[in-house]
Amino acid sequence: MNEPLLPPEAGLDLTRAILARTSGPACQRLHNLACAFVDGELDSAQGGLVRLHLASCPSCQSLVGALIETRNLLPALAQTNPGPWFTQRVMRATTRRPAPQNATDRRPLWWKLMHRPRIALEAAYLGAAAGLVGSYLPIPTPPVSLRVPAFVHPLGASAQRVKSQVVQAERRSTLALQQSLRPKAATSAEPRPTLWQRSSAWARARLRAFRSAPPPPAKGNEASPANP
Amino acid sequence: MELSQALPLVRRGDELAWEFFVRFFQGRVFGLAYHYTAQAEDARDLAQDVFVRIYQNLALVPDEPGCLPWIIRITRNACIDHLRRRKARPPLWDLPAEELFDLRATDQNPEEAHLAAVRKTMVHRALQELTDLNREIILLKEIQGLGLEEIAAILEVPLGTVKSRSNRARLELAQKLCAAGMGG
Repeated sequence: MNEPLLPPEAGLDLTRAILARTSGPACQRLHNLACAFVDGELDSAQGGLVRLHLASCPSCQSLVGALIETRNLLPALAQTNPGPWFTQRVMRATTRRPAPQNATDRRPLWWKLMHRPRIALEAAYLGAAAGLVGSYLPIPTPPVSLRVPAFVHPLGASAQRVKSQVVQAERRSTLALQQSLRPKAATSAEPRPTLWQRSSAWARARLRAFRSAPPPPAKGNEASPANP
Repeated sequence: MELSQALPLVRRGDELAWEFFVRFFQGRVFGLAYHYTAQAEDARDLAQDVFVRIYQNLALVPDEPGCLPWIIRITRNACIDHLRRRKARPPLWDLPAEELFDLRATDQNPEEAHLAAVRKTMVHRALQELTDLNREIILLKEIQGLGLEEIAAILEVPLGTVKSRSNRARLELAQKLCAAGMGG
């Protein structure tokens, strides 16, 4: 009388039917326990229940099979051969070497600075900056007195007199030139004009002259007598 | 020679010990970089950069229990920097992942070696389909064999998150492999 009343296939179908109408399939519960089952962390009772479910559920069987496969495969992925020359590359990149003592390294610092690619750009920049600053500085005036050294002619007094007259004439002309060159601002309290201010004054004068000049006759006015 | 014996010499700058150190860790560093970048050449350059960084900080190399997590942390940071740069300036071409696993010398017969390589490639592709956190947990726990606390410190997430995500990530990977036809 211990014979089962139903054949095994019919028994499985009946189990599925009953589970479908009661708790639903137990696959989700198995998913929660699958990792612990694969790692052998379940006690014997829970392990037996999992085995019982696996015997009748192909999808959970394949899932547990994949888990077992990954558990065996994943540690082998920890190391991958980077190729035959990798160690040499790393050693070449990391080994300390003394700096090469060739002729280039013994050149002085100014030589190395002069032979940089940016030296022309830097020189141009410095020149432009110096020109800009210089255009705003006051223009230096010549010294007030021009010293003429004493001159004694070895031939005699008459020649020396002539020479002194020449020297005095030169001194007068030099002083006159100095007076003409000396800017008015030097004598007054006003600051000396800069090159920028002078050029601006020159530009203003040119503009005034241009505006005050009579306009050239238009072509239309010339043609008007011919074509009234 | 054991790694624990070599580490003091490495810290002192002994070149032979450094070569031993490079040979000892190069497979792990390159493998981790390859899993992050999926490009062999990028992974090779990154692994070299990692060793150069380590060499510049030789005095900071910790003793053996903490040495591997330290190296993995440096490698991960370098890979994440690289991926950020690549995202900002993507390369003109992007080749699929190469079949690197054929490079390994094995004692298997050719058919078994081929099957093993195919399975590893499938696992690698399934890993690329996981979310970032799940993939990193698989990489660090299942592949590199780090502990949960070390992973939490490296990823800067709570320990409970790593614990709960660990089994979920394994399950997700297994489901993707099942969908690819493996495990049946």
